[in-house]
Amino acid sequence: MKKRVVLGIRACTWVWLIMMSLTLVTYLIGQFGLGGLSASLTVLGFALLKGQMVGDYFMGLKRIQGFWRWPVSLWLFIPGGLVGIAFTLVG
Amino acid sequence: MQTQVVVESDRYPPGDLAIWIFILAELAAFGAFFGAYAFTRMQNVEMFNHYQSMLDSDAALINTFALITSSYFVVRAVASIRDNNNQGCVRWLLAALVMGALFLVVKSQEYAHHINEGITLSTNTFYMFYLSLTFFHFMHVIMGMVILAAVAVKAKRGGYSSQQHTGVETGASYWHMVDLVWLILFPLVYVMR
Repeated sequence: MKKRVVLGIRACTWVWLIMMSLTLVTYLIGQFGLGGLSASLTVLGFALLKGQMVGDYFMGLKRIQGFWRWPVSLWLFIPGGLVGIAFTLVG
Repeated sequence: MQTQVVVESDRYPPGDLAIWIFILAELAAFGAFFGAYAFTRMQNVEMFNHYQSMLDSDAALINTFALITSSYFVVRAVASIRDNNNQGCVRWLLAALVMGALFLVVKSQEYAHHINEGITLSTNTFYMFYLSLTFFHFMHVIMGMVILAAVAVKAKRGGYSSQQHTGVETGASYWHMVDLVWLILFPLVYVMR
């Protein structure tokens, strides 16, 4: 079993707080009407980062060695990359 | 700064390996959907942006908070059972189920609003993607809640322990997948333009 405590708070609680904060920033970007490529790619980057955090810390894949370490990361990379390319192509 | 770390590594992910095969299949389906949405949008950018701006992003924010928080509660449930704390596990699972129910209520209200406006799958391409993607995910939330409820009932009856809790980890892995998909769906459908 893995237990990790930073500044008296569980690592998973830090991860939850970071993901909630990134979600709020994403929402505010939408609320302020920020569009265009840079805003879209920033929001996509936040989403992929949150996805990686779910895989690493919530699903527990960070401590896995070998094949099963990578499917979630690969899933984020491929559809995330396709979405990024599609948004980049239309500017 | 005080840090305590106990690290161990493993070759297989937590839970039953069969659920991971299922999770990968589900992720592949959603990934194809996301790619199709993004590339179809290239042909109709203005139309997609227009109808996207009419969606309820406040509801989407609440739902994202609800799913992230429910996933966190499930992590705590797994930690509790690893500490041989059955009651703690049940409490955290019930808290996760409350968050899941909140998601369903908020999403249902969104759907009711669309139905009142006469919006259907055939209204336009944007709504076809929006409704089918979100409803596909909605059904996964229901499925995940059924699994978590079954795990909670078994945990309540003392069916898991610190030595044997594969069922808790299996349910947790599925629920995290549901959260993971929404984390991409939310910005893609509600925010990116």
